[in-house]
Amino acid sequence: MAEHDAGGNVPALRAERLGKRYGKVWGLRDCTLEVPVGAVAALVGPNGAGKTTLLEMIIGLLKPTEGQVSVFGETSRAGTAETLARVGYVAQDHPLYRDFTVADMFHLGHAMNPSWDRKLAVARMEALGIPLKRKVKSMSGGQQAQVSLTMALAKRAPLLVLDEPVSSLDPVARLEFMRDVMASAADSELTFLISSHVVSELERICDWLIILANGHVQLAGPADGLLAAHQLLTVPRDTPGAELPGTVIHRTDSDSPSYRHSTVLIRTDADQLDARSHPGWQVDPVSFEQLVLGYLQHQSTPLTHDDPAPAAQRPRPNTKEFTR
Amino acid sequence: MIWVTWRQHRGQAIACLALLAALAVYAIIEGTSMRSAFSSDGLAGSCLARTQGTGCENGIGAFMGKFGSGVNIAFWSVALIVPGLIGVLVGGSLIARELEYGTWRLAWSQSVPRARWLAVKLALVTGGLIVLGAAMTAVIMWYRAPMDQLTGRLQHNAFDFEGLVLTAYILCAFGFAVLAGLLIRRSIPAMVAAFIPWLTIRLVIEFIFRDHFLAPLTTAMAASCYTQTGCGTGVGAVPQSTGRIGDLILGSKPGNLVSYQPPDRFWPFQFIEAGIFVALTAAALGATILLLRRRAAWSA
Repeated sequence: MAEHDAGGNVPALRAERLGKRYGKVWGLRDCTLEVPVGAVAALVGPNGAGKTTLLEMIIGLLKPTEGQVSVFGETSRAGTAETLARVGYVAQDHPLYRDFTVADMFHLGHAMNPSWDRKLAVARMEALGIPLKRKVKSMSGGQQAQVSLTMALAKRAPLLVLDEPVSSLDPVARLEFMRDVMASAADSELTFLISSHVVSELERICDWLIILANGHVQLAGPADGLLAAHQLLTVPRDTPGAELPGTVIHRTDSDSPSYRHSTVLIRTDADQLDARSHPGWQVDPVSFEQLVLGYLQHQSTPLTHDDPAPAAQRPRPNTKEFTR
Repeated sequence: MIWVTWRQHRGQAIACLALLAALAVYAIIEGTSMRSAFSSDGLAGSCLARTQGTGCENGIGAFMGKFGSGVNIAFWSVALIVPGLIGVLVGGSLIARELEYGTWRLAWSQSVPRARWLAVKLALVTGGLIVLGAAMTAVIMWYRAPMDQLTGRLQHNAFDFEGLVLTAYILCAFGFAVLAGLLIRRSIPAMVAAFIPWLTIRLVIEFIFRDHFLAPLTTAMAASCYTQTGCGTGVGAVPQSTGRIGDLILGSKPGNLVSYQPPDRFWPFQFIEAGIFVALTAAALGATILLLRRRAAWSA
């Protein structure tokens, strides 16, 4: 069942009004987003925001309560071989069988995936200097993450989903892992979706951004466009909100004795801001991290779509109970 | 998937083979000496072909004195627990270990749907346990063959590990442990949670229901018992109060009557008891398959 855009561009990933309810609690609700082919998309949000829930529905591990996911135009059906084969997955904490050797893990990959690319897997281990006879339990966390990534790549799936791939790694291993992901993304047509609650590590490699909080998508789109559409204003502390141009995402009031001021993240277009420039206002471009933090601190109401229930009244998603 | 199943269970398979080998060594050593005693005590020939009271008592008494008591009780206690342990050790880790270590996200995100993953694993591991159970049963039946001619095979220490039931006990403990593993999500607690109901059912059937799978027969007490003391109801009692070797004596009734189960009910009883345990296995594994499929709505 292929669904084509008017322009004939099928996104790598499309979620439509996707929702997942655990008992009475919604872990994720009304999630609509697209990731174009070839993008490296960052899915950021605090712990418990519904990131893992969303990812598990995308890869076909979890059945949505409502809405649907399509990967390269094909509607995902949880627990079917076709859906599973389309997505490579590196789960949180990159689980591997501890008493397996690397060769055993690859044998498993071959046994359980029709298009397994053994050459790619072996070549990557050679490049990384990890012997195939090495047991999983005797490898460092960074090496285990690399084996997990290699297994996902060797599955030859066009979409790769990485769930908090570096959160358990030390800084050097993080850097190496991300460099490796970037290299894989650069010399292939692969689409990546990488979740993290640490923003800094994603900034350099991601060109698409999805911010998830309280089970809702707060912001989604190309990273450049989103950065350009936001500004950081520094204004006197007593500036009323109504005078601020654009939509206020987050406002921090400072009571510093030398200059009582407010720092405001606003969504606006730059031309409008120039026209209304005030003396005493400072306008700065926003960084990736400032943008994400602003939205995560905002959180009170979803901005990208209408929802009658304010986030504060929604029960906290507790996906952790099911992912312990 | 066959390779994956083998790789994940090969440690258990090797341990089971070692156990089987130890059992075989014990059975060969003990069985050989039992066989030679059986002939040297003069039981192998025409003695047993006739009913009791024809001069066999001394030979039977000597043989039972050597092999009847200690070996049987020890063997029975071990045999009671071992099938359950094998079953829960193999079954308890099958799903629970994946959930415990988070490897289910790896196993079930490959291109094999989890329903098929489970079906293949259950089929192969169940097959392996059936082979193990059959092999253990064969060894024990060979070992016990001389003894069985004197005591019959309806006694606890013969019935419980001959024929079909030993394999069925293993499978039942396995099925319980697989289901418990899915529900409890931890291997060791799942093993304990499966072993307790397994042992309970096992003992309740053995001591309450088995003797009445089919209505006991009643017969007049043997003439020799009628007039003299020394006719027992226990294992290896010579002479038996029915007057026939191999009957399972259940008790005496007023009017010098004896209720008993005849030896030719061994196989019907085996089928009934094994059937109960296989049905329990099927119920547990069926529930596991359904739950795992439904758990797609719950992630894991």
